[in-house]
Amino acid sequence: MQRLQALAETISRGGAIVGGAMLLIAAIVICLDIFLRYAFSLTVGGADDLSGYALAIASAWGFSAALLTRSHIRIDTVYVRVRSRAARAALDVLSLLAFALFATLVAWHGWGVFYQSYVSDSHSQSAIEMPLVFPQGLWFAGLAFLAAVALLLLARAIVAWSRSDLEGLFRMIGSKSALEEAKEEVVAVEHGLEAEHKQ
Amino acid sequence: MTATVSLVVLLVVLGSSIAVAAGMVLVGLILNGFYSPMPLTRMMGELAWATSSNFILTAIPFYIMFGEILLRSGIAERMYNAMTQWLSWLPGGLMHSNVGSCALFGSVSGSSVATAATIGVVAMGEIDKHKYNERLFLGTLAAGGTLGILIPPSINMIIYGVMTDTSVPKLYLAGFIPGFILTVLFSLTVLIACIWKPHWGGEKIETSWQERWRTLPDLLPPTVLLLIVVGAIFFGLATATESAAVGILGALAIAGWRRRITLQMLREVCEGTVRTTALVMAILVGAFFLNVVIQTIGLTQQLGQLIREYQLTPVQVLGAVILLYLVLGTFMEELSMMISTIPITTPLILQAGYDPVWFGILLVLLIQTAMISPPFGINLFVIHGLRGRGTLSDVEIGSAPFVIALLVIIALICAYPEIVMWAPRVFG
Repeated sequence: MQRLQALAETISRGGAIVGGAMLLIAAIVICLDIFLRYAFSLTVGGADDLSGYALAIASAWGFSAALLTRSHIRIDTVYVRVRSRAARAALDVLSLLAFALFATLVAWHGWGVFYQSYVSDSHSQSAIEMPLVFPQGLWFAGLAFLAAVALLLLARAIVAWSRSDLEGLFRMIGSKSALEEAKEEVVAVEHGLEAEHKQ
Repeated sequence: MTATVSLVVLLVVLGSSIAVAAGMVLVGLILNGFYSPMPLTRMMGELAWATSSNFILTAIPFYIMFGEILLRSGIAERMYNAMTQWLSWLPGGLMHSNVGSCALFGSVSGSSVATAATIGVVAMGEIDKHKYNERLFLGTLAAGGTLGILIPPSINMIIYGVMTDTSVPKLYLAGFIPGFILTVLFSLTVLIACIWKPHWGGEKIETSWQERWRTLPDLLPPTVLLLIVVGAIFFGLATATESAAVGILGALAIAGWRRRITLQMLREVCEGTVRTTALVMAILVGAFFLNVVIQTIGLTQQLGQLIREYQLTPVQVLGAVILLYLVLGTFMEELSMMISTIPITTPLILQAGYDPVWFGILLVLLIQTAMISPPFGINLFVIHGLRGRGTLSDVEIGSAPFVIALLVIIALICAYPEIVMWAPRVFG
């Protein structure tokens, strides 16, 4: 199962990078659109739709990246005050259970949206008239992947729990403390500065 | 009754450390099961798609990416160093640079945590070098960082705008003047402290005009970029999303000019952007679902009825809401606090007759206060984490004067709503 999770991590990172690249391209298309509008009074249209699709697809794939890096926001005011490690582990599993429910629900109904567009051959309303199955297909794929990742993590967490491997469980699905998050933010900044000094 | 139940269920579910996005859906399902015969989950797909492909919301990843590029290309560090040259003559020296850099960087990055972290990393080494009062210095960093969500472009305002159907450009216009006043108030706090206790202000930094002009190229490009991004929105030349897209290209241009673009940097920018965007969008999808449930079960009307029944004056309603946020802010994470409460508090405030734009600004100020008030203020943690020594209470004590400054401006905009409403009325 560990190998399965490593594979999931690779896929979700790839998905996140591609999603980010789509957003970057959308930003460039929007700038082009503005340039044409002011320089030649030309309106191409469609940039709005494209960036909306980029956001939907990037978010859908980002959900799993955030889940695997334990980045989804949890209110841990009570959590950090719970002394018993077993009780904390129970809260972690409960949280993941709720998240898996959320993921499956969104993915299940996301399929409905995709399927409906496929059956009725829907197109976007703007000038580009893109068949909605393309963006919605990639979006749904991201959601389906999220549901799979959530269920995989749930299975792994339950296994770790039954073996009373609480350390392993916390590493996989524990709540990140605010301090931990702050440190990550700092590492990102310092990384940028190091590169600056290297020149 | 329903309102109380909703709020209690929400707090219990979120308090049990369930991820906020999933928690809100769960609360939605519970309320749906209790109060409405219609299974609203069927709308989940359409809702998720409509939310995450919303054009206005695309401004969020764009601003995040904009900040990520500035963050990972050393632009902020150079800006801070330039700012120290230009503001060092004031009593309190570098502490004004802290506030000023946070205001400037915060206004382009749209995120408070990133702002505090970025400026904090660069500034931290200066405490010992120039013998500043450590607590006050840390306070300027924690407090200055919060300016990021008040001075446009702000991600929080976009979220508020989309969730409450309020015009984002109007919110932006409304944010400028309070943002400016608060920056001055923060600086004034430092000034008063350092005139009262001169040794808090550290040693004077020697500088010259020659040195100032030399650092100008580090200060100007981000400033000009900021003026373009913000100015385009201010004068209605571009939407928030469009101006953010221009910002990304501009930031890439500056980074390219300094030869700081690498494939790895771009990959990190993309990954970081998507991860942060995803956690915001996940909460938004959950919040929109909860919003629909709340509207379907008639909570909004009930709130209005409640106000009439108890004959609450608008001021009492406002007071209660402000109190609610000050209390919630002591233990809740700020972004989720804002998103999960908007569906309940905004209708209440609107029923009492307040303007949605005005309340949006008030809400941001309340969140800023939450960010630097103990025991749970994310910026306190960021600054404490950066420092790597001493105790968290040093940062808390240092931030206290700035909490007072925030309470002052909250009182000001309650007493004189024109501070907020003037710009959107004249330019909007």
